[in-house]
Amino acid sequence: MPAAHDRILAALELRKPDRVPTFDLMQEYANIYEILRKKPLPIAFLFSNPYIAKIMDKVVAQPWVDQSRPVDKAMKDYTYDRTAASAKMGYDSAWVGYHPVWRYLSSKVVRDIYGRCWDVTLDGKGNVGTPMYRRGLISSPSDWKDWNKKDLLCLPEKNYRMFSLVQKDFGNRLFVFATFTGGLFELTWQCMGFEPFCVAIRREKEFIRRMIGFYTDLYCIMLEAFAEAGVPGVMYPNDMAYRSGPMLNPKVFEELYGESLRRLTGTAHALDLKIVIHSCGNVYSLLPWFADCGFDGVHALEPTAGVELAQAKEIIGDRLCLIGNIDVTHILVSATKEEVFETVHRAIQDAGKAGGYILGPTNSHPGMTVRNLRWMVEAVEKYGRYPLTG
Amino acid sequence: MSDTLVKIGDAVAELDLDAVEPLVRDAVAAREEANAILEAMGAGMASVGELFESGEYFLADLVLAGEMMKEGVAVIEPLLKRDGQATKGAIILCTVKGDIHDIGKNLVGTMLGSAGFRVVDLGVDVPEEKVVEAIRTHGASSVALSVLLTTMVTSISDIVAAITEAGLRDQVKIAIGGACTTPELAERMQVDALGRDAVEAVRIFEGWLSD
Repeated sequence: MPAAHDRILAALELRKPDRVPTFDLMQEYANIYEILRKKPLPIAFLFSNPYIAKIMDKVVAQPWVDQSRPVDKAMKDYTYDRTAASAKMGYDSAWVGYHPVWRYLSSKVVRDIYGRCWDVTLDGKGNVGTPMYRRGLISSPSDWKDWNKKDLLCLPEKNYRMFSLVQKDFGNRLFVFATFTGGLFELTWQCMGFEPFCVAIRREKEFIRRMIGFYTDLYCIMLEAFAEAGVPGVMYPNDMAYRSGPMLNPKVFEELYGESLRRLTGTAHALDLKIVIHSCGNVYSLLPWFADCGFDGVHALEPTAGVELAQAKEIIGDRLCLIGNIDVTHILVSATKEEVFETVHRAIQDAGKAGGYILGPTNSHPGMTVRNLRWMVEAVEKYGRYPLTG
Repeated sequence: MSDTLVKIGDAVAELDLDAVEPLVRDAVAAREEANAILEAMGAGMASVGELFESGEYFLADLVLAGEMMKEGVAVIEPLLKRDGQATKGAIILCTVKGDIHDIGKNLVGTMLGSAGFRVVDLGVDVPEEKVVEAIRTHGASSVALSVLLTTMVTSISDIVAAITEAGLRDQVKIAIGGACTTPELAERMQVDALGRDAVEAVRIFEGWLSD
């Protein structure tokens, strides 16, 4: 069994590995290409050049244009390169997403197959950036009934193929956390917008439950696909909090999503998959619930939302592996080498002493530099070997 | 305050979603003044804010209360137009250029509106010149800027610079809020305040009013 795999497994099982393991969730093309020393394709040109954008606007509006093939291919290349970059950086694990879900409505707007609209963004370096959520397209039971679910139903098979390749080429170097394009809470509120969702969970609870049920079934089949592909872990991405605390009353989270989450974690464990939840924001009050739902670990632990590793460890360190917490607003963007080393050292001291901690960024961010990410990995080598020294 | 007005405030405070609109209709039928009905809803929103700060209510509850407020206001809107609405002054609100996140912004707008301010919501992805133009058009003395993404924080300084360049900085106070904002950022951007959430935003602008 490769060292990286053992290291991550030990941390997820709250044991001490040989050193604190590392975790990567880089999603930005510019960094990926820099690491791989690849020259980026001038994709952004298609969107920013007014003449080409005009042509694109006309083409994508044609009903006969099938975008699924080129989009799936672009996403496949992205997923492969993104994983290769993680392996090359020497990380122990990586959050790897394969998202064959985008369909362009114009050169400015893209929708996904879940019914969410996003603004196309460009990173200023010739690449497409992470799209920005704009609004939802499904606001009523009849919208949901009419929504074409064919592409959604193809996801398990597409993911099986992609992750079989990823696992074959990188599984001996990286512990791969395969992922979904959004958790149940995100999918259900973003397809209608947050304000209508807050009303709908009072007035149309059964409609919300129906959507949750559909995605729970779909995700259970995707877990089967991940396991069949040989992937050892799953990242369940679901932002449930913001900087002051949970977005919904935790009782409402339990009422609407608890049973589904237990089904997902139960299915993952039955398939020998480890499953970790990601949520941005201040999650202190949700941590015990994450553990009750059966997750093996929790990721993000955002310092800008006031989350401190020592406190998170005290709350839930005996039940959940903690992952992340390295700041992406300054430390991995513009901090000095000394600052990065000091932050990594402190994180390891706060959360890693008894094991059960995987160090990595809280999120992906276009401002992160490869230089600072390398310092982070280097610092873990320096401070993260067990037995830890003060 | 009449029984109906008390009930309106209580319904908002207790998040009784389907009660507010019929109660407002009852109040209108009973010839209550539109501004009094608005005040009753505002009092309910203030209670919601307190319950949010004490940890009993959550973000979705604040949003829900805002939606209830909108349903109530829709009923009395024609009367408000006729009678004129009492206001504590205009606040220019927007999500900065390059950022299109609006949950926080909308919530701040609702809370400020229910607290009696006239909120001029410019929307999302707003360039600095629009902010300057709105300050002039509406005679606003306060600006609230929302930013979620760290990559967009420079848009805050662009707005501050444009307001300064227009010679308006001395008469306008600026507050920022959003996921990536910190006291250090507020200082660096040379703004006057940082709001952690929508409830704190109301406190900031109320405070400036009493200054």
